[in-house]
Amino acid sequence: MTNKIAICLAVLTIAVSFLGIQLHETRICVAQSQLDSDEPTGKIQDSSEQEFPVPLKPLSKTISPCRACHGPEKDFPVNFKRREDLLVHTNIKLNHGGVRLWCLDCHSPDNRNLLLPLSDGKAIDFEHSYLLCGKCHGTKYRDWKYGIHGKRTGFWNGAKNYYLCVTCHDPHSPRFKPLAPMPPPDKPWTPKESAQRK
Amino acid sequence: MSEEKTKEPGQTSELKVSLDPASSQEAAEGKELINRRGFMQGTAGVLAAMALGSCSWQEFFQNNFRRMTKGEIEQTVERLRSEYKQKYGKDFVVDAEGPIDGTFFGYALDIQRCIGCRKCVYACVEENNQSRDPQIQYIRVLRFKDGDMDLEHSTIYYDPEEVPEKGYYYLPVQCQQCENPPCTKVCPVQATWTEPDGIVVVDYNWCIGCRYCMAACPYMGRWFNFADPVIPADKVNVNTHYLGNRPRMRNVVEKCTFCIQRVRKGRYPACVEVCPVGARKFGNLLDPNSEISRIIQTKRVFRLKSELNTQPKFYYFFSI
Repeated sequence: MTNKIAICLAVLTIAVSFLGIQLHETRICVAQSQLDSDEPTGKIQDSSEQEFPVPLKPLSKTISPCRACHGPEKDFPVNFKRREDLLVHTNIKLNHGGVRLWCLDCHSPDNRNLLLPLSDGKAIDFEHSYLLCGKCHGTKYRDWKYGIHGKRTGFWNGAKNYYLCVTCHDPHSPRFKPLAPMPPPDKPWTPKESAQRK
Repeated sequence: MSEEKTKEPGQTSELKVSLDPASSQEAAEGKELINRRGFMQGTAGVLAAMALGSCSWQEFFQNNFRRMTKGEIEQTVERLRSEYKQKYGKDFVVDAEGPIDGTFFGYALDIQRCIGCRKCVYACVEENNQSRDPQIQYIRVLRFKDGDMDLEHSTIYYDPEEVPEKGYYYLPVQCQQCENPPCTKVCPVQATWTEPDGIVVVDYNWCIGCRYCMAACPYMGRWFNFADPVIPADKVNVNTHYLGNRPRMRNVVEKCTFCIQRVRKGRYPACVEVCPVGARKFGNLLDPNSEISRIIQTKRVFRLKSELNTQPKFYYFFSI
């Protein structure tokens, strides 16, 4: 009799723990799907479920569409070797991550109109380049989503404009470029000097 | 008198005699003489001219903004609009909007991002109708040597070819919108106060220009119109607020109001929108999901001169 009760209890505990694991897994799945919701939709969702538009940085006409040269119909082989001088893209000075990065670490070798995919295998287009940036710069990406990193315009209590990472940082040379400052303030002047000014 | 002074500057006894207003010798010489009656008459005349000449009857007897009824506020706004129309030839919007419920504004500035370009300074000047000459700028950008935090060693007059400069960092300072503001306490006429959404404002028409608040402010966040403010008519911003950026007059104190005319309509302040590096952050401290709340929760923040217990709502933070 006691044996039977013990077996029943054991079965019950196993069932409960199994259910618990199941629940835990579903929770992970939900969390995963929330993370996946960052996939390219043209909108960013923040914690308050608001959608904010991301204005695009216009690509220069000369380099797009990339497939005009790098397409499958063109006999232009993919060269994985790192080179110092490029044949065509002479205006690009690659200064991103020292010598560790190369064109094909971000650009897709199969389709030059796209960027390399995330772990889900879907290639990223230029409009959602922030997803690719976030692969390495995860903490900056998180801050950017919450509005801590980067510029935001619009309404503090409503629709905000985000800017793509590449709007401010040239992806080939991401360090912020120096600016000419606006003029310094006037030095204080005495009444005598003010008479001379007029 | 001046002739005597130039003749014998060392002899003080003679000077004393000549200073005496009752001196009949001078009267006989036909020089200017101020006696008590003349002085009183002149003062009365000047006061009357000031009261009736430079400002209207309604302006002279205008009440403190916080004691005005709705009708009085409307009348005042109408009077101001017609005044500005006459002066600048443009139709002004003069808001007197109250605070939005459930808001308490805070500001954060990332001093590791700021490059000291002063774009915020000039965006603020244009947005808030500050005088161009004599110059009034609400934001001062201080430049420090790396590793130095002493405000006394900083400069605001740096003028290199390009910023940021190597070996320096920048710290913009403006009104810190304190929760415990020394400036409002010292005002003898209560012309400055803290609004329910946390913005410290000035009623320019009630201000008597004593500048006690400027002496009390440890951040040099207030400015005085020593002369008539000069704003080019084509540069004037017509979207104004009574407590904010409406054109000021001589002899009143003014200050940063977090762009009250913008933030009470939900917009970001002008300095936030112009910053090229996105170092300036603004939001509602009561909303746990706002940028400012997240910065205070997750970043290393500090407040300027926190030892003075002014409790600023202006935070500086490090993002890296």
